Parts: sequence; C-alpha cells; structure tokens
Amino acid sequence: MQILLVEDDQSLADGLCKALRNVGFITNHVRDGKAARHVIEVEPPDIVVLDLGLPDMDGLDVLKSIRANGSTIPVLILTARSSVDARVSGLDLGADDYLPKPFETPELIARLRVIERRLSTVLQSNIHVGNVSLDTIRQQVCLDDVPVELPRREYMVLKQLMENIGKVQTREQLETRLYAWGEEVSSNAIEVHVHHLRKKLGSDLIKTIRGVGYTIRKP
Amino acid sequence: MTSIRTYLIVALLSTVALGNFVAAVYGYRSSMIEAEALLDSQLNDAVSLIATMRTVSTPLVDAPSSLMAFQIWSADGKLIQRSANTSDAPITVFEDGYRDENFEGFRWRVLSRFDQQQQRWLLVGERIDIRTQLADKVILHAVMPIVASLPLVALVVWLVVGNGLSLVRKLAQELGGKRADDLSRLTTSNPPVELAPVVDAINDLLRRLQESVLRERRFSADAAHELRTPLSAIKVHIHNLRNEYPDETDALRTLDRDINRLSHLIEQIMLLYRTTPESYQANMQEVDLHALAQSVIGDLYADIDARQQSISLTGSAQTVTGDRDSLIILLSNLILNASKYSAEGASITVHVDRAELGICLSVADTGPGIPLAEISRVFDRFYRVGGDRHSSAADGCGLGLSIVKHIGDLHHANIVIENNADGPGLTVSVIFPADFQSPLIFTRHSAC
Repeated sequence: MQILLVEDDQSLADGLCKALRNVGFITNHVRDGKAARHVIEVEPPDIVVLDLGLPDMDGLDVLKSIRANGSTIPVLILTARSSVDARVSGLDLGADDYLPKPFETPELIARLRVIERRLSTVLQSNIHVGNVSLDTIRQQVCLDDVPVELPRREYMVLKQLMENIGKVQTREQLETRLYAWGEEVSSNAIEVHVHHLRKKLGSDLIKTIRGVGYTIRKP
Repeated sequence: MTSIRTYLIVALLSTVALGNFVAAVYGYRSSMIEAEALLDSQLNDAVSLIATMRTVSTPLVDAPSSLMAFQIWSADGKLIQRSANTSDAPITVFEDGYRDENFEGFRWRVLSRFDQQQQRWLLVGERIDIRTQLADKVILHAVMPIVASLPLVALVVWLVVGNGLSLVRKLAQELGGKRADDLSRLTTSNPPVELAPVVDAINDLLRRLQESVLRERRFSADAAHELRTPLSAIKVHIHNLRNEYPDETDALRTLDRDINRLSHLIEQIMLLYRTTPESYQANMQEVDLHALAQSVIGDLYADIDARQQSISLTGSAQTVTGDRDSLIILLSNLILNASKYSAEGASITVHVDRAELGICLSVADTGPGIPLAEISRVFDRFYRVGGDRHSSAADGCGLGLSIVKHIGDLHHANIVIENNADGPGLTVSVIFPADFQSPLIFTRHSAC
C-alpha cells in the first residue's frame, strides 16, 4: 500500500514516514501543495495523508484539485485546525477521514488500515470478537466455530456493532441501518434484536449504555 | 446625574427672565419719566387755563375735581382765590417751577407761576398718588405681556432643547442597542458638528477593539497550529522510540504521559480562550441536548469503559437555543471530569429534562464530591480541588470547569454544583433558561 504524505513540518514528516514504514506502508513524502499535485498526477499513490496548512496553498485546495480531476484516491486529512467547520468542509470536499492534531500514531495507523481494507480487492470478510466470528461475504456468524442461524435484522445489528467495534451505536443509528424510510419500527425493536442476539451468542458480547445505545468492546 | 436638558432649560429661562426683568425695569423708569413730563405739561396747561379765569368776588371756589387744587395770590401776598380743598396758607413757595408738596393729607405735584399781566401768583397742584396710579396702569399694560409670555417661552425652550438633544438620544440608543460582540461602526449618518467628534472617537475605538479581537483570534488559531504540529511530531517520535526500545517502557511511559498532559493543557487553554463570551463567535441554533449527550457519550465511551465505569443517559429530548460546538465541549468536560475524579467502577448519570426554571442538564457521579468550602472556587482558572494531591491522582490542569462556566455564560445558563444528598458523589447541573431572551436571575436554587 503506497501512501503519499503531504506535510510541511519536517520533524513530523520524518517521524510519520518511519512509523508508517514500520507497519508496512510504502510512504513517500512531499512538503508542499504543488509537489503533491504533481506526484498525484504522474504517480498516483493509494492513499493521500494531507496536512491542511501548507506553505504554498491550502490543503483543501489540493483536495479540490484531486477531486476535480475525477480521482477517487482516498484522502485522510491531518490538521491542526480544530473547528468543526474546518472538519465539515474537509469532509464535504471529499476527504475520506479527518484526524485532528495532536493525534495518536496508532489511531492514524488504524484509520489507514480501515481505508486499506476498503480498497483491497480481497475484502477482509472475517471479523472476530472473542469466540464470535462474522463472515460478511457469506453472511455467516459462528460461535466457537459453530454456525449460528440469525434472522436478517439480527445479523444486521451484529454486523453493524462488530464493524464498529469499540464504538457506541445509538438506537437511532441502528434503526436507520435496519429499516427503510417510512417503515414501521416499534419502539423496542432494537432491544428485542439485541435480546435475541445475547441469548444466542452470550450475554457478555453486546453491552448496553443506558439511554445512549449499544457497543461491542474490543476484547 | 446632571442633565444637559435641565441645565439648558434652567439657564435659558433664567436668562430670558433676567433680560425681561431688566427691560421691564428700564421701561418702567423711562415710561415713568415720560408720564411725569406729560402730566407736568398738563399741569402747565391747567395753570394757563386758570390765568385766563376772571377773578370772582368770592375767594372760595370748588376745585374742578378733588384731585386738583389751586390758589391765586396777589403779588403782595394776599390770597385772592382758592379751591375748596386748600387752606389759607400758600400751598407752595412763591417761586416759579414744579415742586412736590404736602398738604391736606396728601402729596401733591405743584406748579407755581407768576402771572405778569395781572401781577399775581398762580399755584396749581395735582395729587401725586393719582398720577402714580395712572402711570402704573399704563406701564403695567406695557410690561404684562412680557411676563405673561414667560411660560410660553419656557414651553418652547423645553421643546427646542429636547429636539436639539434628540440626536444625542439617538446616538445613545444605537450604542445601547449594540450586542456585546457587535464591534461594527456606528451608523449615525450626518451627525451634527458637535457630535461628529464623539461618533468618530467611538468608531475609532470600535475599530481598534475589533482589530485587537481579530488579532487575538488569529493568535489563538496560529498558536493552535504552531503548538499542535510539534506536539504531533513528539508523539510520533515517542511511538517510534517505543518500537525501537521495547524495554525502556517506564521512561517512555512517563514521557508519553507528560506529553499527553502538555497537549491536554494546551487544548484546554485554547478552549478557555476560544470560549470567552467576548471572543466567542457563537452560532446559535436549536440543539437537542439529549441527542447531543448521546453522541458525546458515544465518543467518550472508550475512555469511560477503560476505567470500568458505567454511564447512562436519562431524561427526555429537550431543545435549547445554543451553540453546538461549545455545548459538545461543555458536555465532554463535565463527563470527563466525572469520570476522572471518580474511582474505577463508579457510575455516571447524565440527565436531561425540563425543570422549573428551564432546561436542566446534569451530570452526576459517585466520586468523592467536593468539600463545601471549596465548591465556590472550582470555577477559578487553574484551581484544583485539594491542589495537585487530589485523591484520584488524576492528571488535570484545573481549567475544565472554567471552560464550562464560560460556555454556560454564553448560553445565559446557571451552573449549580452540589454534593449528592443521598450518597457520595457530585452533581453538576447546567440550567438553560427556557426563554433565552429573558433577563438572567443569578440565584442559587436547588438543582433538578
């Protein structure tokens, strides 16, 4: 996986190149927007990690020009700007992710992995949490390697929670994933699905955050 | 407080009254002199009339009126004729000219003249009090209108001064109507010459204020950028070091912790600055606090779960008018405080509901609470309960609640901190006024 790092701070760039190479990313580095545009044109990388405060132009302009050329290269924005507006405009312009500085290096690597997974032709189809595994291609759930039959909506709830492991999914978020617009949803539909999932997969797997939603913790 | 209007009205009315008084006195005096001259010439005419009178045998004749008196004396001092209202004594000396004399209990204006033709003295008198009455009447008629017009003058002066000051009032209204964060120029067009320097000075002041606010905002944004990038670099290098020296974990762990403390402090200082009501550019909109709390709890769940604490959200959907970004900061600070200062395994409850005085957001924990004596100080910047030896041994910089207070102020919200009545722990309640425009009443009341 080839990554182009666009960052004007030399020390940060050196450290990042080293950290990313350590985990197997092929990383190239440019210091300004002009060089970035040139590299993206002649030798497109798989992922662009883009700082917004560049010496010659705004990083968002680099993003614009990438998208204007019809390129769909995933772009992860790395910036010291904290306001939500900057974040929203970045995502609006077609950035795939947004990480505010100062960030944790493992967090950056994890996010790059997510993008990588999305890109890879061989979709990573198996997610494991403890003794539960989920195969997203065959839509198969196994408990201790024994297949468990799940109705479609229970499978969808489990998939949503396992794909977002460690993150809280609110009831509304789950409902919008499971039901079409206008479809009748009983107020406790999600609770019922979770109840059934717990009966089939063990009560410890899905955790309730009262008033907020559900999560599956990282083991 | 002195009033320009009152001052002008009093000063103008005093001047007008004084002017009128002086004019009236002067007019009275000159009218009096005029009247005297006129009456004296009348007296002279009367003498001439008497001179033509033929002397009758009876020396006593009735006066033309009781207000006039006359005597005719021969040159050798014998009384030839007199009016009934005089005695036998001459009413004045035998010498040509006007004189004031007393007789018959009155004061008289008397003219004596020697009649050359018939060799006799003609003495004619007229009562002075009558003359004065007459003159007074004439003069009073002349002066009265001036005095009578004073109230009318006062009214006109009142209106004119009021009208003249209306521009000042308008300027005051425009200044008074400005919002705290509105530093735009005054729009008073065509101010009068006297007010132009004031308007210019205010506009100049506003411009400089705006520039300094912008400068500070830029500084804070620049500082954010300048500090965050090197911090990121340090973090990356620590990460790499850890990969290279897996054994040196203690030193690296301490270093990591210190860097996190530093970056937390920097973020909090910038937040504190950014949320000061004077510099914050709030984007007020309808925000559902309950939904916002859901999303904030979702984001913070990993941190809370890492301390084996449980968190729950109760209450119902409540909409407030607020700034979404700053409300997220407020919620995060309160929830992270609750988590940080409570022991592992504690439980945190976030509650959103309608209360008597507005919408109440409260975050309760089961931690140690805060000693009563220190509760009032927790909003102070850099203040930490128990100093840096807080029993939780948690890292912190003592800015979290100052930021919460700033954001509360932005929303005209009341913040109440109370130790839980029914067990250990602390509850921080933020009460948003039901009607954002309503005047604030900063009274302590029981939290919801």
